[in-house]
Amino acid sequence: MTARGTPSRFLGSVLRNGLGRYVCQLQRLSLAFSPGGQTSRGARGYIEEKVVDFAKQNPGVVVYVTPKKCRCPTVVAEYLNGAVREENIGDKTVDEITQLIQKLANQSGLEVIRIRKPFHTDNPSIQGQWHPFTNKPSALNMQSLGRLEPQPNKV
Amino acid sequence: MVFLSVPCWLRSRLTDRFWRVQAVLKHARHFRGRKNRCYSLAVRSVRRAFVKSTKARREKKKFMRMLWITRIEAASLEHRLKYPVFIGNLLKCQVELNRKMLADLAIYEPKTFKSLAALAQRRGQEGILAALGDGKEPEGIFSRIIHHY
Repeated sequence: MTARGTPSRFLGSVLRNGLGRYVCQLQRLSLAFSPGGQTSRGARGYIEEKVVDFAKQNPGVVVYVTPKKCRCPTVVAEYLNGAVREENIGDKTVDEITQLIQKLANQSGLEVIRIRKPFHTDNPSIQGQWHPFTNKPSALNMQSLGRLEPQPNKV
Repeated sequence: MVFLSVPCWLRSRLTDRFWRVQAVLKHARHFRGRKNRCYSLAVRSVRRAFVKSTKARREKKKFMRMLWITRIEAASLEHRLKYPVFIGNLLKCQVELNRKMLADLAIYEPKTFKSLAALAQRRGQEGILAALGDGKEPEGIFSRIIHHY
């Protein structure tokens, strides 16, 4: 849990998303649940009531629903940059699952690790970054070529 | 008839020792020497690392402030002003920039910093004139204080 021991990244967005147009970064959502089974109760309720609305509201997301006999219903979210996030939705209510899936849809695929600074800019300097010659007289740059006398006319 | 010695023959054994050990070693993988591999050494090093990381959060604030002050001092000395004079005069002009912003301006906005240094210098001169002249109101522009009521 030290800063050097855990991964960290700088603040950033995927290809300046939102600056021009906003593209939903969630690519596909795979819901695996069990048709019987107490832990999948919330998942079944979500699939009955809410999943079609979610799919209609987010036309850029492909939703796969696989009923199979499993103990732990999961939702796997894959993002456009290739990141995969798997969440367990066992023993959750329909509202909690809705909130979770909305959160997954709002995320970009960037990792959820410590962000070093809460700001980032590609152009930190407008006036030009300081260098050792900024505040020195520009006469230091001058080099005389020694050709200041008028040339004698060649005959 | 209750057999009381049968439960005593049951012995529970640790089955997830591997994962318990890995949970500690994963925090020690970037260490130097045997303490990134051997559990007994790693346990001690990881605990010290966590303790130091907790205590360092207070030190980081002190260290960052020291760093900013060093940078502002270097930048203001380029403009022939000493750090306490610079900061004091800026505060008298009601310029409430903190040291972090001043250090960032000194690095990325050198012309702005030059104008701030000029402001501080002029305020210093006005202060001296007001002290010498002993007039009722300081004549300088930068000595005027704006009251936000």
